[in-house]
Amino acid sequence: MDIFAKVKEMIVEQLGVEEEEVKKETAFKDLNADSLDIVELVMAMEEEFDLEISDEQVEKIKTVGDVIQYLEANV
Amino acid sequence: MQKNELCRLLNIEFPILQGGMAWVATGELAAAVSLAGGLGIIGAGQSPADLIEREINKIQNLTDKPFGVNIMLLSPYAEDIIELVLDKEVPIVTTGAGNPGKYMDNFKRKGIKVIPVVASVALARRLEKQGVDAIIAEGMESGGHVGDITTMVLVPQVAQAVKVPVIAAGGIADGRGLAAALALGAKGVQMGTRFICAEECTVHQNYKDMVLKAKDRDTVITGRTTGHPVRIIKNKLSRLIDQMEAQGTTKEEIENMGVGRLRAVVKEGDTAMGSVMAGQSSAMVETIEPAGDIVRQVMAQACEIMNNHWELNQSCCRENK
Repeated sequence: MDIFAKVKEMIVEQLGVEEEEVKKETAFKDLNADSLDIVELVMAMEEEFDLEISDEQVEKIKTVGDVIQYLEANV
Repeated sequence: MQKNELCRLLNIEFPILQGGMAWVATGELAAAVSLAGGLGIIGAGQSPADLIEREINKIQNLTDKPFGVNIMLLSPYAEDIIELVLDKEVPIVTTGAGNPGKYMDNFKRKGIKVIPVVASVALARRLEKQGVDAIIAEGMESGGHVGDITTMVLVPQVAQAVKVPVIAAGGIADGRGLAAALALGAKGVQMGTRFICAEECTVHQNYKDMVLKAKDRDTVITGRTTGHPVRIIKNKLSRLIDQMEAQGTTKEEIENMGVGRLRAVVKEGDTAMGSVMAGQSSAMVETIEPAGDIVRQVMAQACEIMNNHWELNQSCCRENK
């Protein structure tokens, strides 16, 4: 499964941003995502990839790449 | 006595919580609400633990009834307050400004009920998974830090998304609000603004007068650009912050502008440059009266409304079946 492609699709849908804006180095704050947006994304990803992302992990998420890295290691 | 699911959970008589407002919700106020059968809550805000310990002692000296402490998770003293609450075995904790997940096990071990304040469906669902006992769904009508969804649309969605009891907050100041909240799927309400004008509330008289005087359009949301918007009653400070935001002043400068402003209105009655935190329901608060009277009136008015609708139910709804 191409995790990056799926995550990008979810971010585009949840945050209403353009696909070109979502790169691995993009910070969520530059996509105007606040803490509630992050929670929503995390919940959606937990469901999509059938895993649990702890609050400690969530706190560490700053960029799209952080999410990809975590998912690649845990899916 | 044990009137619904929420009353049973919290061991209270009426499903009415008094919001844990920083600086405003002291031991005196919380004790009066708990004594009347509601749930009084001390607001820890950004105060150090020794100050909050004094407030807890006040209420424990006055009553054995359940009460709560609101922990502002962004406070520099949050960890100390959590220690204090565990140590004092405070029966109920409400949390704001974050996610109490990592402290859940500690609270559970002491049998403390945990009720986070949330402003989104996803966070409500996440916290339910982590084992919270109930959820306060707070709409943007409320005073102080606000989310961006109204109570009217947030409460039914949260109530549908979680199984634990939901408590509606934001814009509720009387029995009409309680009846409406129940209709939306909540099991109770939390009110803050109405209790600012309780006799037992120790804030400066100028603050209370400001709430009493406020009309429907008199509160505004300030500090949107900081990412932590705050609803206050319009004054010189709110206009100044608006100007700063319009001029593109940095987030840090705007945040600095807000430092100590709540204390200024609570303690010194500075209604010009103080942060007069209050909800849109300020316009519906008309008198200063004992907190116990507020609790009883809100419940009585809600009961009356529900009875009126019972008649409607008897006549129309049955005929239409």
